[in-house]
Amino acid sequence: MIVSASVLVPSIGFGLVTASILALAAVGFTLQFGVTNILNLAYGDVMAAAAFIGYVLNKHGASIAISLVVGAVFGAVASLLLNRCLYMPFLRRGTKLFGMVIVTLSVGIIIQNVLLAIFGATFFTYKFSVGSQVHVAGMVFNGSQILIMGLAVAAMLLVQVVLTQTRLGKAMRATAANAGLAQASGIATDRVVDVAWLLSGALCGLAGVVLVLNTSAFQSTTGNDFLVIIVAAAMLGGVGRATGAMVAALVLGVVTEVAAGYISPSFKEVIAFGVLVVVLLIRPQGIFGQAAVERDLA
Amino acid sequence: MNATSYYLTTLLVYLGVDILAVWALNLQYGVSGVYNFAFIVFQAVGAYTAGVVTLGSPSQNGGFQHYILGWHLPYPLPVIAGGLVAGALSVPVGLVALRKLRTDYQAMVMLVLSVIATLVVENVTGLFNGPAGLSLIPQPLTNGVASSSLNYQWLYVGITAAICGVVYIFVHRVTSSPLGRALRATRDNEAAAEALGKDVFRLRLFIFVFGNAIAGVSGAVLVQFIGAWSPGSWLYVETLVVLTAIIVGGTGNNAGVMLGALLVPVAFNEATRYLPTIGRPGLIDALQWIVIGLLGLVFLWFWPRGIIPERRRRFARQAARTGDAPRAGEPQLADPVV
Amino acid sequence: MTTRLREDAPSAGAGGASALLHVQDLRRDFGGVWAVDGASFAVARGAITSLIGPNGAGKSTVVGIVGGAIRPSSGQVIFDDEDITSLPPHACARRGLVRTYQLSSEFAKLTVLENLLVAAPDQRGESLATLVFGKRHWREQEERAVIRARTLLERFGMGEKEDEYAGNLSGGQKRLVEIMRGLMAEPKLLLLDEPMAGVNPTLAREIEGYLAQLAGEGLTMLLVEHELEVVERLSQAVVVMALGRVIATGTMAELRSRPEVLNAYLAG
Repeated sequence: MIVSASVLVPSIGFGLVTASILALAAVGFTLQFGVTNILNLAYGDVMAAAAFIGYVLNKHGASIAISLVVGAVFGAVASLLLNRCLYMPFLRRGTKLFGMVIVTLSVGIIIQNVLLAIFGATFFTYKFSVGSQVHVAGMVFNGSQILIMGLAVAAMLLVQVVLTQTRLGKAMRATAANAGLAQASGIATDRVVDVAWLLSGALCGLAGVVLVLNTSAFQSTTGNDFLVIIVAAAMLGGVGRATGAMVAALVLGVVTEVAAGYISPSFKEVIAFGVLVVVLLIRPQGIFGQAAVERDLA
Repeated sequence: MNATSYYLTTLLVYLGVDILAVWALNLQYGVSGVYNFAFIVFQAVGAYTAGVVTLGSPSQNGGFQHYILGWHLPYPLPVIAGGLVAGALSVPVGLVALRKLRTDYQAMVMLVLSVIATLVVENVTGLFNGPAGLSLIPQPLTNGVASSSLNYQWLYVGITAAICGVVYIFVHRVTSSPLGRALRATRDNEAAAEALGKDVFRLRLFIFVFGNAIAGVSGAVLVQFIGAWSPGSWLYVETLVVLTAIIVGGTGNNAGVMLGALLVPVAFNEATRYLPTIGRPGLIDALQWIVIGLLGLVFLWFWPRGIIPERRRRFARQAARTGDAPRAGEPQLADPVV
Repeated sequence: MTTRLREDAPSAGAGGASALLHVQDLRRDFGGVWAVDGASFAVARGAITSLIGPNGAGKSTVVGIVGGAIRPSSGQVIFDDEDITSLPPHACARRGLVRTYQLSSEFAKLTVLENLLVAAPDQRGESLATLVFGKRHWREQEERAVIRARTLLERFGMGEKEDEYAGNLSGGQKRLVEIMRGLMAEPKLLLLDEPMAGVNPTLAREIEGYLAQLAGEGLTMLLVEHELEVVERLSQAVVVMALGRVIATGTMAELRSRPEVLNAYLAG
């Protein structure tokens, strides 16, 4: 196979954009998973809900910036409420890992279909100016894609600052790294869990709006469709490790787009799924994680 | 009068298919603690198999479908084939995916396999005609009875009931035997079961294969009734419907899950199907899914063991009970009803 | 209920044909930490051998390795003249090496009687032939197993509880079920991991009595235990571990005067 620059380089360009979106989503996912140990299958649907809220605002004339901010806030609040009103009560009743999968999956299905019921089954698009094209090293980006990548970088930096410089951030990392020890030291309090859901939810909502900015059209299932690659990136990078998720997102984003360019677009998904299955079966702690230890759900 | 009868017979066939499905998934999830989120794939395997062994060659059907095989197997071979192929396919999947893995990861692996299966079938169109799926699948045993008549509908109801009866014999043999007890022990405490000599992996692989074979049978029965089958018929969330039926009806109880099959897939889906189409198209479908999701949550919260929970197995006592070992008169084993 | 030491039982350190279990030079590390760093001892037939040592000595890891749940980094486990080092737990159990667990490990949604029945070895009713032949394939064997299980229940004073869900039992009752289950499996060697931990003193004395009875009947046992008085009353042979190594073997009387044993307990 000849690696022709005419396919490879633009594909890498697409890959960087996808990676940016994926990084936002995967970091949010892994932070929450790392702290609470709940595999949240409703994540993609909350992304979709945020996207639709942003859409409604956009339709009434709000700028993209407003949609992004409101999306992030919505994601944060919705995730916090879901945890406090649903997930935590179930946990207190003694629901175990698989039971929580059913709970989050059911929640996701409900959200998805509420969106479907309200908005219908058609496709939607945001109205915004895509902006002029920028040429960088043979890759072509339009204005909104530059915005997306810039946002991702800024958000990642912010997350890093929170995780390394603030007390709550460090508490989150400690809980994700060794929950047993953290719980024993009294670190994993309700507050840490709340912050984890808020932060993860904000990233989730932001990623949702950003995702649909990049795709030409979206519908109620768009968030859920993206879920598998998000989980793949989070698992690949090691559960709870934000930097791991960022690296994994970069790798997966670029690789899937390059594959899509050379083979076929549906191959994107096959790769993502294949990666996830292989990681789960062979090395569940991901590339950067350490071997998983039995721990309670938070 | 006729329309009601058609509706009723269709409902009964669907009920029979769903009963087979809940028994199968219950064996895996309720009895053995095997989290098979790829269940619906194996029902689809059975359906596709029955389809391609009865459709005849593609050219005989107008040439617009592309699929493998294309035989003309006589009844009931397509049903048996559906079960066998689904069971056979479970072996490599089980060998790979049933390893010791935390339960939510295992659910995730199975779920992803389910989606991969959909992708493969949609993209490798030569297999089962891709996204369009198979159609014009012939109904069996139409020699004496006209296929669109009410008599035929009742005939098929009878066939479905007979198949359910046969399958039940084997399901019951598992759940009422020491084999079923070993599986339940594995579910309750894997390490302790191992320490007492149970080969947990082999037990789980068996119930995975056996359950999926029954799923395949259910798919074959369904597809030969409705005549068509496409990826839209087996999205990964359909497994959640069967799971919800089990949770509602009674996890671990064969009769309980039958009730669940009646209430969840049949009553909810079929009842709302005949509601007037209010609002925009697709709204009813969305509402159905919302109800399914809510049902799952509500039952998991209030009645996690379901309406008819798993039975307590008792063993009949003999008449005299002294401190020594009992003499003549062996204890009668109480025959578990379900 | 008095217990008697069997003075004629061989000591733990002795190898030779009379030993049912040989543990040779076991080592096991977890991420660089050596939980077991050279453990060797033997368990003589027909006697109770106790494994003692302070917390972190590696006793649980050794028990896990012997039972097959943990793979050693190096070393061997010889059971009844067969190398079982790499065998998984169910294979060890099938050969008569049955282990009980320290924490509650009952089958919660099965009745007490069913818990015991699960443990019965070589059940025809568990084979795939059950699918083909149905109940007549296993009915007789099951009835005999029920009789045996009920006898055990009576002996341990739990005859009235046979239909109770094991998950609803008290901690002490669960412990008894654990032991009965182990016996039901017809073991050649019963590996008991702290059977009296966390149990009220009355029940602990009761369990001690049962164990002494079983030893009197010739059952070989390897007992992990904390309370030294119990160890002295029950065991014919004692193996002391500290920091992953076996530091001494002998009878309790012999060990009491050994300085390294005293140090291990004072330091650990």
